[in-house]
Amino acid sequence: MTRDLPSERGGASASPRPRAERSSRARRLGKELLPVAVLAIPAAIVVTFIVVPAITVLIHSLFAANALGDVEQFIGLGNYQALFASPTFQLVWINTLVYTVLATGLSMAVALVLSLLLHRRRMNLATTFSLFSPTVIPMIAAANLWLYFTIPGYGVVDRVARFVGLGQMNWLGYPGTAVLTLVLLFTWKYAPYYAFFLIAGLQAVPGHVRDAARLEDKRGFMTFRYVILPLLKPMLLFTLTLSIINAVETIDPIYVMTQGGPNNATNFLMYYLYNLGFNYFNWGQADALSVILAVVLSAFSIVYLYLLERRSFLWQ
Amino acid sequence: MAVVQRLRGQGTRIVIFLIALLWVAPTLWTFYETFVTRGLHFTWANLSTAWQSAPFPEFGLNTLIIVFGLFLVQSLFGAVCGFVLAKQRFFLRTVFFVIFLLQVVIPIYALIVPDYQLLRSFHLLNSRTGIMLPYATSGIAVLAFYQAFRGVPLEVEEAGRLDGCSPAQLLRHIYLPSAFPAMAAFAVVSVSYHWTDFLWPLIVTSTNHARPLVVGLAMLSQASESGAQWSLIAAATVIVTLPILVIFALFSRRIVQAFSTTFHI
Repeated sequence: MTRDLPSERGGASASPRPRAERSSRARRLGKELLPVAVLAIPAAIVVTFIVVPAITVLIHSLFAANALGDVEQFIGLGNYQALFASPTFQLVWINTLVYTVLATGLSMAVALVLSLLLHRRRMNLATTFSLFSPTVIPMIAAANLWLYFTIPGYGVVDRVARFVGLGQMNWLGYPGTAVLTLVLLFTWKYAPYYAFFLIAGLQAVPGHVRDAARLEDKRGFMTFRYVILPLLKPMLLFTLTLSIINAVETIDPIYVMTQGGPNNATNFLMYYLYNLGFNYFNWGQADALSVILAVVLSAFSIVYLYLLERRSFLWQ
Repeated sequence: MAVVQRLRGQGTRIVIFLIALLWVAPTLWTFYETFVTRGLHFTWANLSTAWQSAPFPEFGLNTLIIVFGLFLVQSLFGAVCGFVLAKQRFFLRTVFFVIFLLQVVIPIYALIVPDYQLLRSFHLLNSRTGIMLPYATSGIAVLAFYQAFRGVPLEVEEAGRLDGCSPAQLLRHIYLPSAFPAMAAFAVVSVSYHWTDFLWPLIVTSTNHARPLVVGLAMLSQASESGAQWSLIAAATVIVTLPILVIFALFSRRIVQAFSTTFHI
């Protein structure tokens, strides 16, 4: 564009009108096309890896596929029927539901308690580091730590148990305790992170509102129930959505700690999808499950984005 | 009354201290077991055994290339797209907006199967490029820069224009400096996401050649689980977490601040 300027000036002095008109039309066209040209590559990457796969996976989920993933024959909702008819998948989605409810419930409760304890204090470095070190390490590393802890007979959990007179316990060896361990790991990893958002929400409660409420209600339960909680609601919803997305996407600790066992008790949706596609080569059902996950996760992501955007107007 | 309140304050402080201790205990304990022998002597032995059991420098280099490469590409695309979307009205603008929003909304977790097949057809499996490519455009980056650029007052831009700035110069001298906070915040979000990302690099890689640290660590712990080399798992986890914990200890305040900016807190 800068290079156009001198030539245009030169042109205007020689034969004013036609050249100027042509160049302005060219410039207008350029003005329309240049942005499209600039955005083309970044947008093409999204289209190639997100938009088109989302559409193809939807189409492929309606076809039978061979072990190589080649589409063979239209079978309507056959893949979905086969998926829901399989006993393993019935277990898997119930597992995921139970895990999601427990993990989000416990982590949100702990996050709320943490935020109420912390929101009016300046945290020193040691507290910040202690609470948020699980947040900054990768989930795989966190899962390794917990695996190391729950080793039967050797891990620190069992050593403590022996010290207080309890027997050793294979924490990851029984369905109930394996799920419990994963829920506790999730809470350890994410609760301070969620508390971080809730603290911000609490700090946005105006001081005079809090002071007025404290004069009326010494013990604070009513204040919490009728003043703080309603004001915190948008942030609670946002954090809840975030925790649901995190829980549904859980695969890292399962890969490291339980491999879906024992007896498929920790076989969750993402791990099942991974196995369908990359170990059982059951591409038809993998496509069907991908569609279901895409719909569920996108729905939560939309809520998440909506709350994020709305909140930024609400609090500022 | 004042005494009760002071006691209550002390009580809260003790509760916070206990919770913090509980939270840091797993990490501290693993570090203790790795570095301290039964006779309470400091040792490098566990660490050096773990270091030799897997190509950690190679994993680390892969992680660095993937994480910072992605951050650079995402920022570049984000800045250019954010600028064009904020400052130009043009044909198909809404369509581009929807495309970038779709990138934010549809998680790659749900598309691992078709994306894997796509990479296979591009012959990009088991490569760093293959790990990075689907993430190269970040809708969050586009939106962050879009909002930052929209906040620049028109007068500033006009002043620059009067001084004879080209659009490229305007971008460099007026817009990019004003987008710096957005970029710093995005850096924390992008780097922390991609350095911990596991599933996608796991699927794409089949040898150590392109594996990032997180995948290498998972492979190591799966392999040694059967052989019960527990101290090896602990030491390998220390190798992977030590750098990030040191960085976090040094810059925790700034990192927390960057996060707050991103989420408009």
